[in-house]
Amino acid sequence: MKDARRPAIYRYAFLTRASHWLWVLALFILVGSGLQIFNASPNLDASDKSDPARRVLAIGSPAEGVGTTTIFGRTFVTTGWLGWTNDGMGSRGAHAFPATITIPGFKDLAGGRRWHLFFAWVAALCWLAWLVSAAIKGSLREMVLRPSDVPKLWPMQAYYLKLRKTPPPYGIYNPLQKASYTAVLFVIAPLVVVTGLALSPGIDAIANPLTVLFGGRQFARLWHFAGMLVLLIFFAVHTFQVATQGVVNQMRSMITGWYQPQ
Amino acid sequence: MRRRLFIASSVSALAGCGPLSSGLSQNEQFMRVLGSVEGLNHRLIGTRGLARGYRERDVDRVFRVNGFATPSDAAYARLLADRFESYRLVVEGAVERPRAFTLSQLRRMPQQTQITRHDCVEGWSAIGKWSGVRLDDLLGAVGPRDDARYVVFRCMDNDGAGNLYYESLDMHQAHHPQALLALRLNDAPLDPDHGAPVRLRVPTQLGYKSAKWIARIEVVGSFARIAGGHGGYWEDQGYEWYAGI
Repeated sequence: MKDARRPAIYRYAFLTRASHWLWVLALFILVGSGLQIFNASPNLDASDKSDPARRVLAIGSPAEGVGTTTIFGRTFVTTGWLGWTNDGMGSRGAHAFPATITIPGFKDLAGGRRWHLFFAWVAALCWLAWLVSAAIKGSLREMVLRPSDVPKLWPMQAYYLKLRKTPPPYGIYNPLQKASYTAVLFVIAPLVVVTGLALSPGIDAIANPLTVLFGGRQFARLWHFAGMLVLLIFFAVHTFQVATQGVVNQMRSMITGWYQPQ
Repeated sequence: MRRRLFIASSVSALAGCGPLSSGLSQNEQFMRVLGSVEGLNHRLIGTRGLARGYRERDVDRVFRVNGFATPSDAAYARLLADRFESYRLVVEGAVERPRAFTLSQLRRMPQQTQITRHDCVEGWSAIGKWSGVRLDDLLGAVGPRDDARYVVFRCMDNDGAGNLYYESLDMHQAHHPQALLALRLNDAPLDPDHGAPVRLRVPTQLGYKSAKWIARIEVVGSFARIAGGHGGYWEDQGYEWYAGI
């Protein structure tokens, strides 16, 4: 253990910690089951109905034993990774994403949909509970990017790039953290939820302008997928930061609530 | 050291997710818990809106075939051979006036044309121009009794294992103004792959609700004792009965 130079502070309330870990679980299940759903029709079109002329991404298997990925018309051979992959049944087959990263770990659209629709509710209700509690306690103020933080964004980045010796002054979260938390919690996550809803023919019938707003149903599917990628990028950067900024202290604080200031 | 331990434990935790999720997916009780949100989605979203109508130029002239292709059994081959002259759409069950409709009788009823998008559960979408008899009109002709709760569509195609395709709608969905017994697609009589001679169109729900090759319509109080008891061929395989999402 490091020397306790300053007394530990109670940094994360129970609801914050619970929703954090529930999100981790939900994110992985939603990504895995989402890829299962994607595999049933492994194309993404920038259009309302399916339209090969407006295809942005296509993962396929043009021949036995060959997997390809086509992005904006450029085709790459991705055998073993995408297109022709592990089918979860002990061999390889024409599967866009390998069964090793889908939920369930074999071809099962009905099962994937059940996981996805259930944990979509878990993630959304969790977000709502967290938002309400954070707003009541006032801890949102420390997380949300404010106009006064904007001039500090570059100095903070410069500090990370070792172009500056000291970071700009900030509170609990630095300006870059605030920017990414704000983007993920208030832009990307709601976007993923809303684009998911826009895929529903029932909701489309009630609120067609929503689907039109995203460029149509297939386009909404594309945005939904892109939002997932952004969340994964956030996850990767976030995990890297935790791993490099005192992983034990960080993990302890998100589990027990107690953080040891350095 | 700690960092390596952290990464190693994260990787092993992730590797454990696949088998765990696959195991849970084969647990019926667990999947029933996951499926519990279906009722919530049905109540919140339902089928209350009207599916968007499209323009002629949005129509897919070659409409992708969903589900199974043309039934291969002898009975269907006979119907095809006599151009559906001997076809009868039987409407029975909890109705005041059970009836069998010939194709020409159905053609003489008021026709609705809708250009709507078909959203497959697999994820793709296609737009077709459909014409036929509103299910609401057909039900009006037979008069559902007070104990009628579901309309079950019995189809002519089977999956090769002897399971006949079927689907069901509740009375609210069946009376939806766009629930259509389609006789035509893109200005021509339905072809065999698209469900000739009569198929259902339910544009407010996913494609598997839009049953093809309908032989018999049965109005019932409950579908619990029909086939697997979940109200449809795909429902019996684990898909949601409420297909609005």
